Amino acid sequence: MKPQVNIMAVVDVIGALSARTLLDGNLCMVDNGDYRSTGQGTPALCTLVCPGQAVQWTALAVDLQTPVDIKSIRFLDPLGGEGVAWQPQHAAPIAANGGFPHANGSDASLSNGEAGAGSAGDSDTLDLDVWIGLVPPWMTPGVPYKYRLELQMYEGDNSIMHVDLPALMSV
Amino acid sequence: MPQQLAIIVLVDVGNAIADGTLDGNTYLFDNMKLHGSDGQGTGGLVTAINGAYWADGSQASEQVLNWLPYSLGSIPPTVPRGYQSDRARQTDREALAELDALAARPAAGADTAGRLDKIRKSVGTRIKTTRRTSGRLSNEKVLDVTGEVVGDLGTGSYSYPGPIITDIYGEAVDEKIMYPAEYGSPDMVTDGWYWSATVDTSRPGSYAYTMRIQLHKLVVQDGQALWHPVNLTCTSSLRITSEPKRNAFTKAGMGYLPVPMHAPPTEGYAGTDAVTESARSTG
Repeated sequence: MKPQVNIMAVVDVIGALSARTLLDGNLCMVDNGDYRSTGQGTPALCTLVCPGQAVQWTALAVDLQTPVDIKSIRFLDPLGGEGVAWQPQHAAPIAANGGFPHANGSDASLSNGEAGAGSAGDSDTLDLDVWIGLVPPWMTPGVPYKYRLELQMYEGDNSIMHVDLPALMSV
Repeated sequence: MPQQLAIIVLVDVGNAIADGTLDGNTYLFDNMKLHGSDGQGTGGLVTAINGAYWADGSQASEQVLNWLPYSLGSIPPTVPRGYQSDRARQTDREALAELDALAARPAAGADTAGRLDKIRKSVGTRIKTTRRTSGRLSNEKVLDVTGEVVGDLGTGSYSYPGPIITDIYGEAVDEKIMYPAEYGSPDMVTDGWYWSATVDTSRPGSYAYTMRIQLHKLVVQDGQALWHPVNLTCTSSLRITSEPKRNAFTKAGMGYLPVPMHAPPTEGYAGTDAVTESARSTG
């Protein structure tokens, strides 16, 4: 088992901004996992992972002179709602809380649907973000956990787009 | 931040030649306004380069600069590469046809001199080919910005050849902040060549650099027109900052991914079973 799986989101920024969609071939996702991930080369990539593996997401522009960064990654709430809001305590460094981020048993914040995942900083510092984390032990094997991948392409009203299609699935 | 940054060097060639300086006749732009570049559209551009480093201090991102010189008041570089030669040949053919017509009807008499003069003007002015201009500027005529030949150099305004960067040097290069070089390119918009540099973002600060730019001035020598090179310089600077990379999920060290504790329903995920089976068989 590889210690780390890399997921690459390759974006045709000009295509996405022109058509105002990440679909229609403007977003292509691939990974280098050990198992047979499905949907390689599409926005509906389902990456197969093992608990304890690190997963890192990176966004790349097809045209290197166009800017694209990951704005947020949110796992969708299976009980409904927009998406899983990110609360810092859920991702506290493992060393700081004995290795289990939900030790207090509360997961209420997982379904509040508010924005807030990812960088709270300005769009011009998104390139400092490293989107990496460990696959938790509580994922049910064989069930895809879809996530929202939100991308930012420069700045402005139409600069942020997302897809809810990709997923992680524990084997 | 895009990995490659473009710096456009737009030169008002006519006025720069007239003034003998690029000061006030150069307009610099880059695609880093969002990241803090100052002086866009002026001669005083400060290009912001935001670097990043890992926890161990090593450089985390590479920046590549590309310089693209353009001319203000010239035929755009995006027209086909053979355009100027094509225009030269086409006007020659037209003049020959008119001369043929004139020769076939010599009886027109009185107006022959006038018609010859008209043909001479429509032929335009061919640029003399010298050792220096035997490449890109040879076998061409003087054109105006609409692509018409210029018959009378004294009165007509004409399109200058685009500016050419011939060197990039100065503090930022001496201090080994950037490593510029000229590269061949398949992109003919840049005439097959372009200047590019990689940047060391480990030493934040402001660093100036100078571009040597070659323009071409039209001179008439012994009754023949030729493009005479004029070398001028303009300065700009880089402002380099560097910040640490951070984990976007935790804002600190590595943690578990924020995957919900509830398992999603399996319905609605077409092909899930097959995927699971194949995964298990390979796992």
